[in-house]
Amino acid sequence: MNVSPSEAEEALATIQTMMKKTRRAISSSGAYVLLIVWGVIWLLGFLGSQFLPKETASFAWMVLDITGGILSAVLGIRMNRGVRRSAPTTSGKRIAIFWLLLFFYCIAAVAVSWPVDGKQLAMYIILFVTVGWVAMGLLLSFTSVWWGLAMTVLALVGYFLLPDIFYILMGILGGGGMIALGFYIRYKW
Amino acid sequence: MAELNETIHQTVRLRIMAALVTLGPSEEVDFSYLRDLLEVTDGNLGAHLRKLEEAGYIAVNKIFVERKPRTFVAATAAGRKVFQEHVAALESIIKSK
Repeated sequence: MNVSPSEAEEALATIQTMMKKTRRAISSSGAYVLLIVWGVIWLLGFLGSQFLPKETASFAWMVLDITGGILSAVLGIRMNRGVRRSAPTTSGKRIAIFWLLLFFYCIAAVAVSWPVDGKQLAMYIILFVTVGWVAMGLLLSFTSVWWGLAMTVLALVGYFLLPDIFYILMGILGGGGMIALGFYIRYKW
Repeated sequence: MAELNETIHQTVRLRIMAALVTLGPSEEVDFSYLRDLLEVTDGNLGAHLRKLEEAGYIAVNKIFVERKPRTFVAATAAGRKVFQEHVAALESIIKSK
């Protein structure tokens, strides 16, 4: 079989394009949408906490969280439609159990510390989510560890040094950061 | 030295293999999902999949999901090996230019 250098280059370009398209369509298709969805929820929720009365902001958070939960479930089902594991592994189940346990630990920590104000409650949620994020990063892809650590530092700086603009900081930098990361994965991954 | 593979080198089959080797070793992709990804017709994809299956480079798994028949496709270990060799052969052609 004879293949000229230009034909070889063309074939390699075809392979690279197809691999990139597949990774984007199959492997990362859900990740970026989920990041954008939760980034928008954080942005709206924290801006609400900063500018709306306490009761209205709490109600807004509840509506946003329920909407986010429903959207995540729908996206999760759609994500798994095209690709399946022929040999089921236990890692997926263990990851789900890990997040479920982390959720209950977070509730337990809040209950033990009760009463807490809005900022403390937000910090509990942020710290538990970022602990989970860093743990997943260490286990699955080391690069995402830095994003989790950066989010933790940002939250701690906002909580202790900039309490007056804590919510707005978390909304714009935290929520905006997730939206930006989502679009980065979508267009550059 | 790595060798070119005539079966894989055909453009559609090359794109099929590139898509399948991107998946994890225990993952398989739905036929219609693969068809949309490659932007080919059912018949065209089916014909190329048969050639790759006959060569032992892919495995076709027909199952029922919620009482509906569905076809899943995955690259075999032999298919992955041959694909890597084909890529290495293409790269060596460019280097020797």
